[in-house]
Amino acid sequence: MTSLDGITLEILWSNLIATVTEQARALQRIAFSPIVREAGDLATALFDRQGRMVAQAVTGTPGHINSLGMAGQHFVKAFPPDTLVPGDVLITNDPWLSAGHFFDITVMTPVFRGDRCIGFFGSTIHHTDIGGYGVGAGARDVHEEGLWIPLAKLYEAGRPNALLHDIIRRNVRTPEHVAGDLAAQVAAGRVGAERLNALCDRHGFDDIEALSEAVLERSEQATRESIRALRPGTFHGESVFDVPGGQKITLRCAVTVDATLGELTIDFAGSSPEAPIGINVVLNYTAAYANFAVRACLDPDLPNNFGSLKPVKVIAPEGSIVNCRYPAPVNARHVVGMYVPFPVLKALHQVMPDRVVAEGSGAVWTIQIQGRDEQGRPFTSSMFNYSGGMGARRDKPGLDATCYPTGVAAVPVEVLEAAMPIEFTRKELRPGSGGEGRQRGGDGQVIGYRMRTRDPWLLNVVASRTELGPEGLEGGAPGRAGRFLVNGTPVNEARKMLMQPGDEVLMETPGGGGYGPVG
Amino acid sequence: MQAQAGYALAVDIGGTFTDVVLRGRDGRAVTDKTLTTHRNLLEGFFRAVDLALDRAGIAPRAVDDVTVHATTLVTNAVIERRGPPTALVTTRGFRDVLRIRNEHRYDMFDPQIEYPDPLVPPELTFALDERVLADGRVTKPVDADEAAALARELAARGVQAAALCLLNAYRNGANERAARDAMLKAVPALHIALSCDVSPQIREYPRASTTVMNAYTQPLVAPYLEALAAELARRGFPNRPLIMLSNGGVVGTQVAGAFPVRMIESGPAAGALAATHFAELLGLDRLLSFDMGGTTAKACLILDRKPLVAGEFEVDRRYRFKPGSGFPITIPSVDMIEIGAGGGSIARLDNLGLLKVGPRSAGSEPGPVCYGRGGTEPTVTDADVVLGLLDADRFLGGDMKLDRAAAEAAFALLGAKLGVDASAAARGVFEVVCENMAGAARAHATDRGLDWRGLPMLAFGGAGPVHACRVAELLDCRQVVFPPMASVLSAFGTLVSPVRLDLVRSALAPLGTMDWTEARRLIGGMAEEGRGALAEAGVPAAGATLTLAVDCRYRGQQNEVTTEIPLSVAEAGDAVALRAAFETAYEALYGIRLPDVEVEVVTWRLAARGPLPAAPPPPVPGGAQAAPRAHRRVGVEPALPEVPVYDRVALAVGQRIAGPAIIEERETTLVILRGWSAAVHRTGAVIAERDA
Repeated sequence: MTSLDGITLEILWSNLIATVTEQARALQRIAFSPIVREAGDLATALFDRQGRMVAQAVTGTPGHINSLGMAGQHFVKAFPPDTLVPGDVLITNDPWLSAGHFFDITVMTPVFRGDRCIGFFGSTIHHTDIGGYGVGAGARDVHEEGLWIPLAKLYEAGRPNALLHDIIRRNVRTPEHVAGDLAAQVAAGRVGAERLNALCDRHGFDDIEALSEAVLERSEQATRESIRALRPGTFHGESVFDVPGGQKITLRCAVTVDATLGELTIDFAGSSPEAPIGINVVLNYTAAYANFAVRACLDPDLPNNFGSLKPVKVIAPEGSIVNCRYPAPVNARHVVGMYVPFPVLKALHQVMPDRVVAEGSGAVWTIQIQGRDEQGRPFTSSMFNYSGGMGARRDKPGLDATCYPTGVAAVPVEVLEAAMPIEFTRKELRPGSGGEGRQRGGDGQVIGYRMRTRDPWLLNVVASRTELGPEGLEGGAPGRAGRFLVNGTPVNEARKMLMQPGDEVLMETPGGGGYGPVG
Repeated sequence: MQAQAGYALAVDIGGTFTDVVLRGRDGRAVTDKTLTTHRNLLEGFFRAVDLALDRAGIAPRAVDDVTVHATTLVTNAVIERRGPPTALVTTRGFRDVLRIRNEHRYDMFDPQIEYPDPLVPPELTFALDERVLADGRVTKPVDADEAAALARELAARGVQAAALCLLNAYRNGANERAARDAMLKAVPALHIALSCDVSPQIREYPRASTTVMNAYTQPLVAPYLEALAAELARRGFPNRPLIMLSNGGVVGTQVAGAFPVRMIESGPAAGALAATHFAELLGLDRLLSFDMGGTTAKACLILDRKPLVAGEFEVDRRYRFKPGSGFPITIPSVDMIEIGAGGGSIARLDNLGLLKVGPRSAGSEPGPVCYGRGGTEPTVTDADVVLGLLDADRFLGGDMKLDRAAAEAAFALLGAKLGVDASAAARGVFEVVCENMAGAARAHATDRGLDWRGLPMLAFGGAGPVHACRVAELLDCRQVVFPPMASVLSAFGTLVSPVRLDLVRSALAPLGTMDWTEARRLIGGMAEEGRGALAEAGVPAAGATLTLAVDCRYRGQQNEVTTEIPLSVAEAGDAVALRAAFETAYEALYGIRLPDVEVEVVTWRLAARGPLPAAPPPPVPGGAQAAPRAHRRVGVEPALPEVPVYDRVALAVGQRIAGPAIIEERETTLVILRGWSAAVHRTGAVIAERDA
């Protein structure tokens, strides 16, 4: 079937993508987790019998999608397809095997045609709670961060694994939501399986082996071709930024273009070592974001699957902050993970300056608040987030108040004010925070708030780049660093802070770097 | 002849054509099309009306049934930025709401994405020192002097219209009203739109976006509607016009002029209402309406003989038609998907060697290769010509000759890259575009928790009937309805639309501790506004139907489910009944109930409706079965023998035609594939059914 013509393959392939897209939409609609609903923080994908990701839904964040892609192999190794029976469903949240922290639970639903497993529908979503420390970077090791679910069966031959369900319910703060979201993942996997079987019926397939082979081969070839078009050599990039608590993190990479084989190797040697707080990144997640940067530059229309990921190798020294070892804490791994694309983009800038984006604010700033309302009733907010400015592009300015590489939506002020006793005093752009340049970096924001309460309250902010602003490119000026102030005084804290009634919080998110000198 | 009466008139102004339908009491209709006159839309309006009146041989005063109008005026004003300088006024500290949006990057993988420039530039965004809390308490009232000074500044800058969108005004509009009063006192000529009137819903960005669009278009639309009403009266039309809204209802010019943002997409909404009409006539509870035109295809689900209505949609998608790249508008509108697949969609090979169709379109200029106006890239229409589905000599009844040889040459080139001949390449394009549309329809239905399999389809638009049978096969659908008057179906749809106004009020509250007095106050306010709109459109109080619905969610979720509930539930404050209704709807959508989780009420919705207008079906000739006009080779399957070609106008009621067959009408062609049989229904519709 590798000789499938471009018409037949297009039709089959777009049908495969439609199956995972339907799976994703079913999931996004029913999820409790606000970050899944409002921000699309999920990934769904189809895997073949060998655990190779064949197709992914167009929605989702890069960190999730590519980590899910790598999880497929681990599942198949632990549960070979021929040992599975209809009704089995697999699960894990192992940070090192999937998406890098416990909050992200991956569920794999085998697809059966008759008695034979022909592939899997997998999904990863950010759950509302996973016990342990909760949101934030303050845990000292991974065990403080919550419940660790190994590679396991969530359903066996259609029957729920009662013990595992019970363990999960007893170890999270929002058992209804977590159970509901797991049920949603299972239901969405079933939707995907039904659609794939219907596709096989329509086309008279017994399995998708040959189709998978054709898809992966073409994707790999196209990726290799686009790499072969690049100038060969080794190019270096480095990005330095500060994280909560004030530590400076350096991410360094060498991108080697092998134009003969059509391969890229990204080596993070020279990057900072593991940190004592929960901002460490597993290699899966590092590779996810590094690949994301490569793909955005090569051609955003290239498919994302096992074949297209194969020619890009990501390596990092064990024990570095981008390839952390057990038991390093990893809860807020996005704080470092979302900066991974920047050194890669800087290296690629030497090869394709028109495609890259200047450094931007990087990670979104995340916030969670716990306290009591004016009547003394306790509340815990869900996690919410705000963006700084995006870096400038060669021919377009950076977007204001928009994050890159993710781009998760913010929960509206009115929704937050209706949900908890918070009162915002400001949320506007931060003029002049974007770096000057031929193209300006995007502006960050100024966000002010206080709580209407008579009791002390807990504030958990994960901010970054409060000292070092994002660099510009080709002579563009840097964006302004962020500021995090309580009652007018700058703070820099990785852990939850005890606040007093009447305390005023001001967050100024960083601007993006400019591109090119001011003309 | 002058004594005749009972005529109803509909005019739908679209981007290219202005369509008119003049329907007599006996159901007999005169339809026509003229080019839209963008400089002065009313010129084309009356040209079309004159054509229709002439052909029917009647005077304006015979049009004593309704005169209904749908127009693209508002959409075009936004897309072409033809509104006057407009200001936005927010709460101090929140000026940049239009530029911050919701911070979302709608395409994670494409670093080059763009957003449209807001309709209000930064220098015309202002803030007032005032504050309302989420529970409606006013902690800082509006300073009338500050508001008055702001109004004078706006006037000095030449601003004609202003949108006021203050924080939490969805909950309490007192500060917005106070600011408006002070501003109008200082500058009476300002047009001011309040977010608490236009779209009183939680979420400040979409509310501001909607209010701004209303303010921006109001100075254009209100005078337009007045001029229309005046000209109709001057010419002797007995009734004031009714205006089609995007929710699938019509209202009087007062309401439409005050809320022009509700007129956006009124043409497509009217198309969905026509589909609803046929669902009613044919006794189909569910229907998928499928409208494929030159640049896009639209699909809409009709459930229980009503079009699905959504609370939010987008206008002016700027970047590759992508969802998220336009302005969010939170007004009730017929829930439609639009995808970049039309007759003009261009086929190409991507760099994986896969055949892709759209979203890039050749539009009408230069148009498909076969138009002979300089188009060089093969399109869907070209594929249809190469395959013989369209007759190059009879396009638009022969008014426009198509260049089949040029289309074949373009497909020979494309085929060479694919390693196949021209007709195989054209067949590929036909297949791929049908797959794209089926895929979009599946996703749309799945998003709404609906099973798409087996829904009957109603196909219209220039390209819809050509592709409908194949799309239907891909959706496991066994029945396709081809309505009469398909080329002016939106105009026809306005004649079967009830008077209707949809209103919303947000009031986020846990169901368990809800303030029912407040809820009843909100509902009462909506009922009063709805009855007023119905009265303006001539519906007596006794003919009004009020339907209450409520958007609820489980606490912790971000997505609401809309559930209809009897008004009596709200009157009685019956939380148990409300919860039960919500959970029934939720379970139907998602298959589970969550008895332990608290339910929150987010938004109340009230629809005020008049009765469905009577619509006599058009008479259809009975008598002799028409013979095929010709036979021709079609390449939709390889090696298919010549197929019969019929003229639709010649077909008699009850006539059956087995596929493969072609049925031609002036503006479109019905392609009946092998395995399907078509029959002419007494309503004039051709109904194709898949053979068992």
